[in-house]
Amino acid sequence: MHLTNEQLNEYLDNASTERAFIETHLDSCDECAARLSAFQALFTDLDSLPEVTLSRDIAALFRPRPSLAPQLPPWLTLTASLQAAAALVALIIAIPFFSVMLPQVEAPSFTTWFFEIQSLWTSWLDTLSTFQLPTYQFTNLPTYPVELSTLFIALAVVSIFWIFGNGLLLRNRHS
Amino acid sequence: MNAPTDRDLILRARRGDAEAYGDLVSRHQTSVFNVCYRILHNRADAEDLAQETFIRALDRLHTFDLEREFSPWIRRVAANLCLNHIESHKSTAPLDEERDEDKTQGPSEQVEVKERSEQIRSALASLPPHYRLVVELRHYQELSYDEIASELNIPLSDVKSHLFRARKLLAEKLHASD
Repeated sequence: MHLTNEQLNEYLDNASTERAFIETHLDSCDECAARLSAFQALFTDLDSLPEVTLSRDIAALFRPRPSLAPQLPPWLTLTASLQAAAALVALIIAIPFFSVMLPQVEAPSFTTWFFEIQSLWTSWLDTLSTFQLPTYQFTNLPTYPVELSTLFIALAVVSIFWIFGNGLLLRNRHS
Repeated sequence: MNAPTDRDLILRARRGDAEAYGDLVSRHQTSVFNVCYRILHNRADAEDLAQETFIRALDRLHTFDLEREFSPWIRRVAANLCLNHIESHKSTAPLDEERDEDKTQGPSEQVEVKERSEQIRSALASLPPHYRLVVELRHYQELSYDEIASELNIPLSDVKSHLFRARKLLAEKLHASD
């Protein structure tokens, strides 16, 4: 009579209560010894399975993320400083214009507008040919040693620089 | 300076030290991933489940018995999560064709090892989920029959029948592929 699979499995798992009997039988039974060898080979196969490496670092998810400031590379910190400087220059250039232009702009009251609209409506066809939008004359505008168009181009460049810089800062924050 | 023990890292993690828990995860993530990969045989699912294992473990860290070893505990958490995953996703995901690598051997030996490993993994993957789990707990986590029964909350006789049938099936598949 041969050993059962259960007996062989328990023997290999060191869970058998009849080890001496099984060993005696194995010494005299080639068939059971061969079946035991087959199971042992399976154990060896299972033990030989190599570990597979992870493709991502799970531990990184649990580590605290460093704050934004230390993440900024030096060149981006410089960009932020340049942005601030450019904004200051733009403000200095703009102040004289606004200080002259704003006081000269007279905002008409609501009733005046209403009256004008009514008048325009009643005499629409007659006055259409002669209607002119109110114009303002600016006097005492400050003068710069450069062309006004150059100043506006400079302001446009500063604005683009500002938007680009902000974009870089936000992208760095999200990454 | 000596590296901190798992116990030290767990105590620090319990006090809210995320860096300590990160170190603990770093130490065990490969073995936990391999538990999941042996059971699921799908890399993406195995990585997700390994991550989920450490999230669950963090939630239960305050109840962990510091007198026990962390590694067997976390690997058992992973095995149970994999079983739940298999049961809730009866339509199994496609199995990976990934090959195992052993860079310590020559090219021809590497090919042989890869092929044999792939045969073993495929044979494991073809087993019913409960058989796979019992093989994982017995062979890779070295639990006794009683411990497996307690872990899976099934009778001892079921543990034995699952394990012995699983081995028979594996032996047949691997013998047939020789």
